[in-house]
Amino acid sequence: MSHSFPSEAWTAAFADAVNANEVYRTHGKPWTHGAVAMVCSKDESLGLDDDVGMILDVHEGVCRGASLVRGMDAVAETPFVIVAPYARWKQVIRGEVDPIKAMMEGKLKMTKGHLPTMLRFVESSRALVTSATAVPTTFLDE
Amino acid sequence: MEPAVHLAPGAENNGYATMVAQLLRQGLDERPEKKPTLARMTGRVALVVTDLGLVVTLAFDRGHVTVHDGFAGIPDATVRASSEWHTKMSLVELEPRFGLPDPRGAVAREVFEASRKGEIQVHGLLGALPLVLRMTKVLSVA
Repeated sequence: MSHSFPSEAWTAAFADAVNANEVYRTHGKPWTHGAVAMVCSKDESLGLDDDVGMILDVHEGVCRGASLVRGMDAVAETPFVIVAPYARWKQVIRGEVDPIKAMMEGKLKMTKGHLPTMLRFVESSRALVTSATAVPTTFLDE
Repeated sequence: MEPAVHLAPGAENNGYATMVAQLLRQGLDERPEKKPTLARMTGRVALVVTDLGLVVTLAFDRGHVTVHDGFAGIPDATVRASSEWHTKMSLVELEPRFGLPDPRGAVAREVFEASRKGEIQVHGLLGALPLVLRMTKVLSVA
């Protein structure tokens, strides 16, 4: 079943995909640095009248929960925040871009978080984000 | 003197430049014992990310670092490598006594091997060896 991105159903399916990702489970095992938020910037042309975030409560290689939130204030307490416009997340979900390369190119921006920690966990960070490619997705602009 | 890391005007639009600046700032906050190393560094190193067509130049001036978009001035050394290798170079293990790359480390060995194969090229290494080794130390998050 396909889920609309972003939505609560998509977020829940993303959490399931993270937990089904063997690479993430292995490389993320030592991760004890808190939740990660992936935020889609607001885009009124797509009906996104506010920033939309998916907060993943990841800990020791497991996603313990995920929530869909609206507005940057809602991710203020999240230790790691990655922000990108809708088109970029669409490329990530389709597996068209590598998230680490996209960060180097400024296509995904880590607006909050400790970069040295993220680099120490570069393989788990990549696996976390690319878990999204396993979620059957319908996009707002299609 | 307290180290200072600045982005040169225009560099804020280069995602890799902002990452390198963030990495330096947060890395020095986390490991203040690296600050004396930075205080001894003078010269320019250009980092060329071959697969993404990105270039940043780090201008070191005794505790101050300015991160430029593209080539800025004549670099003392130029490191050419793919985004994968640039990421890995920040994970090179350092031996504890002098903070030099530890040849026993798994990532350090991979990087040495990549250098031998020409996948990582350092132009000007002989003339700027201390600068390049010190840069490896201050950028490493391992």
